[in-house]
Amino acid sequence: MQQIPDVIREIPLNYYVWFSAALFCIGIIGVLTRRNAIIIFMSVELMLNSVNLLLVAFSSYKADPAGQIFVFFIMAVAAAEVAVGLAIIVMIYRNIQTIDVGLLNKLKW
Amino acid sequence: MNFWYFLTALTLLSASMVILSKNPIHSVLYLVFTFFCISGHYVLLNAQFLMAVNIVVYAGAIMVLFLFVIMMMDLSKNSPDSKSTLTKLAGAILGGTLLVILIAASRKVDLKDVKPIDAQTGMVEGLGQILYRDYVLPFELVSILFFVAMVGAVMLGKREAGERNF
Amino acid sequence: MNAIIALSLFGISNLFLGFLNNRKILLPATLVFILIALGLNFADWNHEYYWFNNMLKTNNLSVNFVTIILLSTFLVVAISRSFGDDDEHSHPAEYYAILLFSAVGAIMMVTFENLIMLFVGLEILSVSMYVLTGSDKRSLRSNEAALKYFLMGSFATGILLFGVALVYGATSSFDIHGIAQGVAKAKEQMGGAYGPLLYSGVILIMVGLLFKISAAPFHFWTPDVYDGAPSIFTAFMSTVVKTAGVAATYRILSISFPSVYGLWGNPLVYIVCATLIIGNITAVYQQSFKRMLAYSSISHAGYLLITVLAKRPETNSSLLFYSLAYAIATITAFAVLMVVSEAQAKNGKADESFEALNGLANNNPLLAFSLTISMLSLAGIPLTAGFFGKFFVFSDAFSNPSSLFKWILVIAILMSTVGIYYYFKPIIAAYMKKGEVAKIELSPLYKFILILTTTLTILLGLAPDLVKNIF
Repeated sequence: MQQIPDVIREIPLNYYVWFSAALFCIGIIGVLTRRNAIIIFMSVELMLNSVNLLLVAFSSYKADPAGQIFVFFIMAVAAAEVAVGLAIIVMIYRNIQTIDVGLLNKLKW
Repeated sequence: MNFWYFLTALTLLSASMVILSKNPIHSVLYLVFTFFCISGHYVLLNAQFLMAVNIVVYAGAIMVLFLFVIMMMDLSKNSPDSKSTLTKLAGAILGGTLLVILIAASRKVDLKDVKPIDAQTGMVEGLGQILYRDYVLPFELVSILFFVAMVGAVMLGKREAGERNF
Repeated sequence: MNAIIALSLFGISNLFLGFLNNRKILLPATLVFILIALGLNFADWNHEYYWFNNMLKTNNLSVNFVTIILLSTFLVVAISRSFGDDDEHSHPAEYYAILLFSAVGAIMMVTFENLIMLFVGLEILSVSMYVLTGSDKRSLRSNEAALKYFLMGSFATGILLFGVALVYGATSSFDIHGIAQGVAKAKEQMGGAYGPLLYSGVILIMVGLLFKISAAPFHFWTPDVYDGAPSIFTAFMSTVVKTAGVAATYRILSISFPSVYGLWGNPLVYIVCATLIIGNITAVYQQSFKRMLAYSSISHAGYLLITVLAKRPETNSSLLFYSLAYAIATITAFAVLMVVSEAQAKNGKADESFEALNGLANNNPLLAFSLTISMLSLAGIPLTAGFFGKFFVFSDAFSNPSSLFKWILVIAILMSTVGIYYYFKPIIAAYMKKGEVAKIELSPLYKFILILTTTLTILLGLAPDLVKNIF
């Protein structure tokens, strides 16, 4: 495992910034356009993954492991958030039998 | 090099399919596929350990949780999306604008002071040293977060007396 | 730091106390726990120290913030009345434990020295709040508020993290002083390689944090969430979460990015103005007291952000004083709202409209008086703590040479007068309007807290220097 893949030398770091930005924006569009709570939630996961990718790219190109440590923490937090988020979604589904956020309008959404 | 472009295109494509597909189950599967592609990128970036963790935690744990919940709920009978076309368009335009801004902003960046690449950066040994030496306090405090999440998830998800199962 | 360790342990012990099947013991135990943590917190007084490889820094400023946070937590716990006697549907041990854990998160947010700590602290606080917002499982309103808060909160977290990643790319550091050095270096090479990355990063971090403290364009979730959550947790959210969020914003902007003030200062000016205008104007039209308090918390976020913007060393103490005055007054208001809305409940649903307060003064002079003082303080009428809070904030803005601050000041003063209108609504309802509120029996602790907060508000209004000199 001493070799570094050739790719890492050839691809400019910029490409990773653009790639993550694109992934991030797909996530944002998902959050803004979908109404199903689970899909919105998955779009948020997509956003977090674009952040992870960007951090790993910076970390590798700068030979600084701190970025990859941050990725660990993001993963840990994402797992905790998922547990709570899905519990909330299950709780709501039990009460009203739907998770379409548009139909939740006791409070003006 | 070509492989990088191929993998990137594949990632973006499957990510778009996550938000475009009508069926939540398909979305989950596309998302799992996206995570595998991102793990591929981690290998190319020489971050092998994170590659493994990404698959185990994201694809293995988080997405399975999603699948469980979706299957438990049986969403097939109320799938139509109630958002109007206008809101969808506005959301897409907003996201697209943000993308253009981000790309335009980083267009001139040529990131000169990139260090010579160190093959050891992403290895378990180096990461472990740093995680348990420099970052030991946040590592310990994340356990509080898990504790809250555990207590909270049980409290919210538990069936109370007299409530229906599903 | 000691407070963090103590509160984590106490949170766990609280969960074990829940096994005792004795609800009476939980409330006093939690209060004692918070007091011990408060005492331990003062061990760091006059003793600047970096903990665990620059993860946390304690100094007098952080001790003051932690004191405000723990004091607010104490007051909120004290007015919780053990969450009623409904054994089936409430879980007081869990609620108290989560409140203690979330105080840990809040403390991390005011003492962090590394962005990882900020992130973990923010998430502990947010995840606790998602859970507590949804804790009234049978109420659909509470469920929806939890879902909305959760989706918006995690969306904001994503934005914040992308900003952090970009800033890391620009400065190669997560340490807030390291970032400041990186920024200075980038500025040296003017127009250098890292400009745009840093710029988008700072803006995204700011947006992410402003989402959490509900400043104006990002406030849309606040009224619904505050309205839907159980009142006791709304009181916690509008005080502790807001104080911690503003403190974290202040910390990162003033330590890491002071040299690029133009970059975040200019957008923040518009955000502050928009927050003040939207928060105050919409509050006027509210029919529900609780919803009015939600909008009032948005407008107070605006006043707090003025201090962040003013960027002078003295602003520390104005920020602290304002947070303290605001927290005490808000908790008093919620304490009154909770008992009155329950006493006036119709068909088992608490009545949170202004009408519920009609004629409150006839049978409940203490409640009406506390309500009056807290409303006067929130409105910023002289002889209350809120007046001096506003006074210090405005004088910070006034002494800033930039002409932009004159405009902010004009808007802020105009909006304070608008505020007087809607803060007087509950007072008028309580004293002038005809209505009947039966005599409400208050527990001795509840009475004590009401008297304590009211006295504190008046005391700080008469002699602000008592506290201002410490800050």
